[in-house]
Amino acid sequence: MSEEKQQVSRRQFLNYSLMGVGGFMAAGLLVSPIRMAIDPVLKKTSSAGEFVNVGLAVEDITTTPQRVDWQIDQVDGWYESKPGRSAWVYKNEKGDIVALSPVCTHLGCVVSWEGSDKHQNEFFCPCHDGRYTKDGVNIPGTPPLAPLSVYEHKVENGMLFLGKEISRKGA
Amino acid sequence: MQWTSMDMEKYLSAKEYIDTAIIPIIPFQLSHETTIGKSTSKRELVSIFATEIESELSGRTLLVPNYYYLEFGDKEEEVKRLNAWTKEIQSQPFKHVFVLTFDSIWKRYEKDLDANLLWLPGFQTEGVNPQEMMNIIRGQVSDVVELMRSYW
Repeated sequence: MSEEKQQVSRRQFLNYSLMGVGGFMAAGLLVSPIRMAIDPVLKKTSSAGEFVNVGLAVEDITTTPQRVDWQIDQVDGWYESKPGRSAWVYKNEKGDIVALSPVCTHLGCVVSWEGSDKHQNEFFCPCHDGRYTKDGVNIPGTPPLAPLSVYEHKVENGMLFLGKEISRKGA
Repeated sequence: MQWTSMDMEKYLSAKEYIDTAIIPIIPFQLSHETTIGKSTSKRELVSIFATEIESELSGRTLLVPNYYYLEFGDKEEEVKRLNAWTKEIQSQPFKHVFVLTFDSIWKRYEKDLDANLLWLPGFQTEGVNPQEMMNIIRGQVSDVVELMRSYW
């Protein structure tokens, strides 16, 4: 046989086909573990971050903060629960909707709007007299060191939907 | 805060801010069949109230695990045991210890208790829709919170 036709020897041909088949098998084995490993990235949003209809019509939102309560479905591994969530909702001077988390950034008590007669137009924490201005910013000299978290919100069919809680620590 | 490992870590690092403890006390009985429904509803109500109060005031209060007693048992014994619990808690130190109950019999033993008794009247829970129920409870909880604040 001539030199040109002898480009692939029998040994090489067998090597190549074995490698090819072996490669396919290895790939087949690896797909599922890799899929599992990157699964959290593929999921769009966790249930905690989904927008929830909190049962408040947008036209009912006033400039005075009002408290809304709702429940979310939470799954921690095998443990399913329906923890309650709350927010203080109002419209600011510009007419934008603001939804603040009521959880005090000090030690986690629930703050209330004008919860103290002495401090009008402020959020007040009953536990250690923490205070926040209407936009949720902590007032210096009181125990909290960070502003209240805000909820993402959107409006659909005139109803208010609240989503992820965004911390403003360090802001 | 609740008596869980996560909350206790927080408690140990912020001990000076947490000076109030709540002991929910719950009666148990099987012998009086006609009032068994009433006894079980006391248990449910105490649990709901205790967790609601805790979540409102979690930065200053510790919710102690439930204390169970026999509904028709010897109350003098229970008073002794409860006072032992109170002593253990007060020595941490906790300034205010509250005992939360829906069982009116404790009113009679209030003066023997070292803790403050928070007795709440029970109410009908059947046939009320959950949303209304939530509103009733929320209203009562805010009253209890107000009462506890008056001790601070």
